[in-house]
Amino acid sequence: MDPECSQLLPALCAVLADPRQPMADDTCLEKLLDWFKTITEAGSSLLLLQENPCLVELLCHMLKPQDLSSRVLSFSLRLTGVFAAQEDCFQYLQGELLPRLFGEAGPLGGAAWTAPTVRSGWIQGLRSLARHPSALHFLADCGAVDTIFSLQGDSSLFVASAAGQLLVHILGLSMQGPADGPPSLQAGDWPACAKKIVGHIEESLRSTATPQITQALNVLTTTFGHCHDPWTRVLWVRLSPLVAGLLEKDPVPAAHSLVDLLLSVARSPGLSSSSCGLWETLAQTLSRLSPTQAGPLALGILKLQDCPQALRAQAFAVLLQPLACVLKATAQAPGASGVLDGTVGDFATVDTLLPSKAACVGLLCRTLAHLELLLPLPQRPCPWPQAPLLGAAVTLLQLCQGSASPTSDTGHHLCALLLGCVRVQRAALDFLGTLSQGTGPPELVTEVFAVLLEYLRSPDSSPTVLKKAFQATFRWLLSSPKTPGCWDLDPQALLFLRELLPVLQKRLCSPCWEVRDSGLEFLTQMTGRWGGQAGFRHALLASEVPKLTEQLLRDPESYVRASAVAATGQLSSQGLCISPASPEHPGGQQKSPLSELLHILSTDSEGFPRRAAMHVFTQWLRDSHADVVGDTEEFVAGVLQVASQDLDWEVRAQGLELALVFLEQTLGQPGSPCPYAVTPPVVAPACPLAQALQPLCRVRLFEFAFRALFDCDRPVAQKSCDLLLFLRAKMASSSSPQEARSSPDVASVEAALQRWQAGDQAQPLGDLEPEVVLAVLKSMDLEGLRGALAESSDHVEKSPQSLLQDMLATVGILGENEADCY
Amino acid sequence: MPEIRVTPLGAGQDVGRSCILVSIAGKNVMLDCGMHMGFNDDRRFPDFSYITRNGRLTDFLDCVIISHFHLDHCGALPYFSEMVGYDGPIYMTHPTQAICPILLEDYRKIAVDKKGEANFFTSQMIKDCMKKVVAVHLHQTVQVDDELEIKAYYAGHVLGAAMFQIKVGSESVVYTGDYNMTPDRHLGAAWIDKCRPNLLITESTYATTIRDSKRCRERDFLKKVHEAVERGGKVLIPVFALGRAQELCILLETFWERMNLKAPIYFSTGLTEKANHYYKLFITWTNQKIRKTFVQRNMFEFKHIKAFDRAFADNPGPMVVFATPGMLHAGQSLQIFRKWAGNEKNMVIMPGYCVQGTVGHKILSGQRKLEMEGRQVLEVKMQVEYMSFSAHADAKGIMQLVGQAEPESVLLVHGEAKKMEFLKQKIEQEFRVNCYMPANGETVTLPTSPSIPVGISLGLLKREMAQGLLPDAKKPRLLHGTLIMKDSALKELGLVEHQLRFTCRVHLHDPRKEQETAMRVYSHLKSMLKDHCVQHLPDGSVTVESILIQAAAHSEDPGTKVLLVSWTYQDEELGSYLTSLLKKGLPQAPS
Repeated sequence: MDPECSQLLPALCAVLADPRQPMADDTCLEKLLDWFKTITEAGSSLLLLQENPCLVELLCHMLKPQDLSSRVLSFSLRLTGVFAAQEDCFQYLQGELLPRLFGEAGPLGGAAWTAPTVRSGWIQGLRSLARHPSALHFLADCGAVDTIFSLQGDSSLFVASAAGQLLVHILGLSMQGPADGPPSLQAGDWPACAKKIVGHIEESLRSTATPQITQALNVLTTTFGHCHDPWTRVLWVRLSPLVAGLLEKDPVPAAHSLVDLLLSVARSPGLSSSSCGLWETLAQTLSRLSPTQAGPLALGILKLQDCPQALRAQAFAVLLQPLACVLKATAQAPGASGVLDGTVGDFATVDTLLPSKAACVGLLCRTLAHLELLLPLPQRPCPWPQAPLLGAAVTLLQLCQGSASPTSDTGHHLCALLLGCVRVQRAALDFLGTLSQGTGPPELVTEVFAVLLEYLRSPDSSPTVLKKAFQATFRWLLSSPKTPGCWDLDPQALLFLRELLPVLQKRLCSPCWEVRDSGLEFLTQMTGRWGGQAGFRHALLASEVPKLTEQLLRDPESYVRASAVAATGQLSSQGLCISPASPEHPGGQQKSPLSELLHILSTDSEGFPRRAAMHVFTQWLRDSHADVVGDTEEFVAGVLQVASQDLDWEVRAQGLELALVFLEQTLGQPGSPCPYAVTPPVVAPACPLAQALQPLCRVRLFEFAFRALFDCDRPVAQKSCDLLLFLRAKMASSSSPQEARSSPDVASVEAALQRWQAGDQAQPLGDLEPEVVLAVLKSMDLEGLRGALAESSDHVEKSPQSLLQDMLATVGILGENEADCY
Repeated sequence: MPEIRVTPLGAGQDVGRSCILVSIAGKNVMLDCGMHMGFNDDRRFPDFSYITRNGRLTDFLDCVIISHFHLDHCGALPYFSEMVGYDGPIYMTHPTQAICPILLEDYRKIAVDKKGEANFFTSQMIKDCMKKVVAVHLHQTVQVDDELEIKAYYAGHVLGAAMFQIKVGSESVVYTGDYNMTPDRHLGAAWIDKCRPNLLITESTYATTIRDSKRCRERDFLKKVHEAVERGGKVLIPVFALGRAQELCILLETFWERMNLKAPIYFSTGLTEKANHYYKLFITWTNQKIRKTFVQRNMFEFKHIKAFDRAFADNPGPMVVFATPGMLHAGQSLQIFRKWAGNEKNMVIMPGYCVQGTVGHKILSGQRKLEMEGRQVLEVKMQVEYMSFSAHADAKGIMQLVGQAEPESVLLVHGEAKKMEFLKQKIEQEFRVNCYMPANGETVTLPTSPSIPVGISLGLLKREMAQGLLPDAKKPRLLHGTLIMKDSALKELGLVEHQLRFTCRVHLHDPRKEQETAMRVYSHLKSMLKDHCVQHLPDGSVTVESILIQAAAHSEDPGTKVLLVSWTYQDEELGSYLTSLLKKGLPQAPS
């Protein structure tokens, strides 16, 4: 511990021990504890206590009957645990302090125990100290385990959950055994503490009270999830009949926790292969639970690496059943469902599975989500019923939209339940998008595009549904059949595109900003993907979409303007912007995309569009965009000049990103690895470095970079530092002899930099010569600056010493500022 | 029995980050999703693992409601929706939807700017999250689904702040969020109708305080700024982009105009423009005075307040600068503070709360020698002032709201335990209702009386109407009739069906023992009722379906036996038939 902190500690402990001094900021004690954890992880706790006796005094103070703050008491319990985690320190504290803090005589029996924070502190304290065999004896002696049992049912979720975790930890610790080897695998020979916990679990599993069963199941789930030692197998063998016994009850109690436990066991490498009848239990559970409860279990089983094929089939059947019901209920011809022939017996099953609206919606959403999770996994069932699932997703979307035409009564019933249901629409669109990873029969793919178009067209589609419809559409367009080696859209997709663009056009005019924005994001994605393809270009140019995009650059909503900037950048890169000289706009006052975006960068009142413009410019520079290549220097100089003045530090940081790209293009890649080395290799100039720096000086890159070095916003300074270091690395690798060692110019630049560093940024640098730049660069301590900038800007305020000072400074002034907030 | 369950994940006996889970009639709603600015790691967000263990978030939660744009109420929202994975609807008022992303973005920028923050959301995540928002109007009943509906009421506090009523069937909960019962310079007072919810969840920041008028604080503020400017000093006011900044801007603008002051006032970022745009856009949410004045002059079009350029900080002469962030922990405000701190003519006014670990917190706790980077020490000679402009209801205001809404129970959040305890007793005494104050993680369960619609015959209604008394909820009247309940109603009420049995005594002349008489009855009925299940039980009684027959001796006449016959109303026909059969007597036993 720093001497400064050591000096402050006694005063702080005195404040903490004084019940009249409440802590103003509730985070202080948490941070103080964090600090002690760091110290004790790095060194001896015992030494810490011996060198700072005030700490033990503080802990002893907690034993006195007084009106203590529950927060300070809780903190002290946790702190004691942190210290006692080391065995020698535990011995040091064991005499009186530990039993009185954690035993019956401590807070446990007092009024303070009613505060959940004290109970939580008690548990966390024990959790920290339970790290060695001595701690186990202590827990047994002070009767802590019984208290933990009762805390499992605590009124506070946090306490109850922590109690369960602590039991798992104690069980694991006691089974680690003493130094002479782990305990016998015979359950009868287990340590007393472990036997007690297991006995409690058994008793709970036999209980008729669901909360108790849940607690026991949760403890077991965590145990089997975290520990794969051989003893866990013995434990499972012993408890599995009791767990299986739960399935006999009607209804099955704590189904959710039971599923978690069974999956945890099945995932445990030592247990799943055992002959404890796990697969039978899983199969039985699948059939005993309701479809909603069984869904997560079925998904979990299908995710397992190895389990019997029959069980997998059963699990998949459970997952598919709701969709099979939908298909069956809406089938035009009998026997046409095809998802799972034979699984869905009759319409009675449909009624049981999908009885009310709430149950039906809930089950369908869960099923779709589960299947969506399953689809990308390598262990997904094979053969995958792609076509029926596609059919089911399309049918569901049609039912929600009211465009399905069911023939049966059940179908009509389903239609009534699902009509306009946004939840199912969202889930089905997500699922449909994921299904695009596979293929489907052409007629079904046509149906997919039709239903997507229906959603994109529908005035009833909510903004979230539309966004998902756009996403699904993009995914399906991506997956549409194509010639090998060719990324073009196929004729069917092109046909669809011709229908889609007028819809997109309409959506870009939506009064809802969310819809306009999603439309623009979709357009950007599509253009990025197919912008070079003739069919797409033709369809897009024939539509009003490019013109609308240009108009949306002046949208009242800044998010939309930013998306329009990104879309314009993409369109322009592909030559799809309406050009000022296009035949459709003869003599029009159309501005070029470059000047439009420059205008946004200089005038937009908000950061998003300006940042988006900087992204586009950087990308254009990287890709050698036609408008940029014409006069790169003029472009870079213009952009940097505007970006360097921006109030938004992220725009300034992106300005430096653009500067770096220009630097790399001018000078080539650096010798040493650079965090920004992502650009394609550029041929290094053959000319001397100073000469090569001329263009950089002309675009005033260095004034920007030097000024940014002392920017009040740290990421900007850091970026500039990286850029200049890159340049210096370049200098080192170059054998250029032309350097101005010391000249009046260099001195004046250095003086200006010093003033900037001191906060006076008013003075400009004027024109810089490459030689001066090189000399200044050489004399600067950029590495030191980079080290300083790597720290957070408030690292001093966040230091332990500062924390202690703050806590002490707060004493006595609380009355005034107490309990204020926003 | 139906019940309402409330579990605060945040704001339970603290003022950290609000996040309250409510279960009402099987629907789960999250009220607010706030962030704690005092932490740099995941502890800044509520611990959502307590919800995720119930399965997928989107399946478990029916909706999220955000009361207002302050970060301790909405700061965790992008994390919750884009990183934890909630994909369901989020409700807030229109102004909150507009302003929320500005503050989230502002905070994100500060977090990234000062560095060292882990697991933070991005700009894109904020946008994607805001796209999931469904904006609501005041007093508009919004159907979340077929059963769950919500309604927003004006809460004052900040622009767009709302209290929300959550209703499923006849059960309802009102959540106040933060509110203010006294109008201020730009906002009106909170109001709610007499909605008599089952539970009112109210904030209790100033549970034991009766606050002085805000006018006094405003006067004080203006006086201090004026004095500093008059003596040629520079005044720094660190603010967050939106909220208090606009309030103080209006104050200064009006004061400058009135006093004809010439010292420049600057706002450090371009954000103010957008903020002012929203204040103009949502003029209906402001108070009457602003709305009236708006016709003559837009209060948010500032004549004296100009955009700040970094170079201005070194200009000679007095000036006032609003700079972000509000706690002096990064960026522009910190830079200006460092520049100006050494001059005793200057002044910094902190108009809000500062968490530990910030320069703002340090100077508010009276520290005047601050260690800066590189072991430099900054001596703070400038005047440091603290002015709380937070607009919460005080104890009187909270009592007033409880009186207005007339809830069946009250639950206190967003306050300190000790103060809550005091207010709890006061509420319980004055309103005779239960008042709860759960800590974070503690669940309060309230049984509610189920409401079951009852059909009533027209005749009965007419007869009641004939008495000339109109129905009055406060004056219940006794109505005689027969109430017939169906199974579902019984289940909902948690009642067990009463088994009504008809009984009848049949006297038989039979001198034999009771057991023999019972045997004779059994044989007779067995022969007579071939289609029914007739049983002779070990205790001597005879059953035919649900009908039970027991033979007993007559107390006075040993030659007569009494047959006790009982049957359920379902077997009424059979019971009557059987009784009549027994009344005819038993066939003579073969001797």
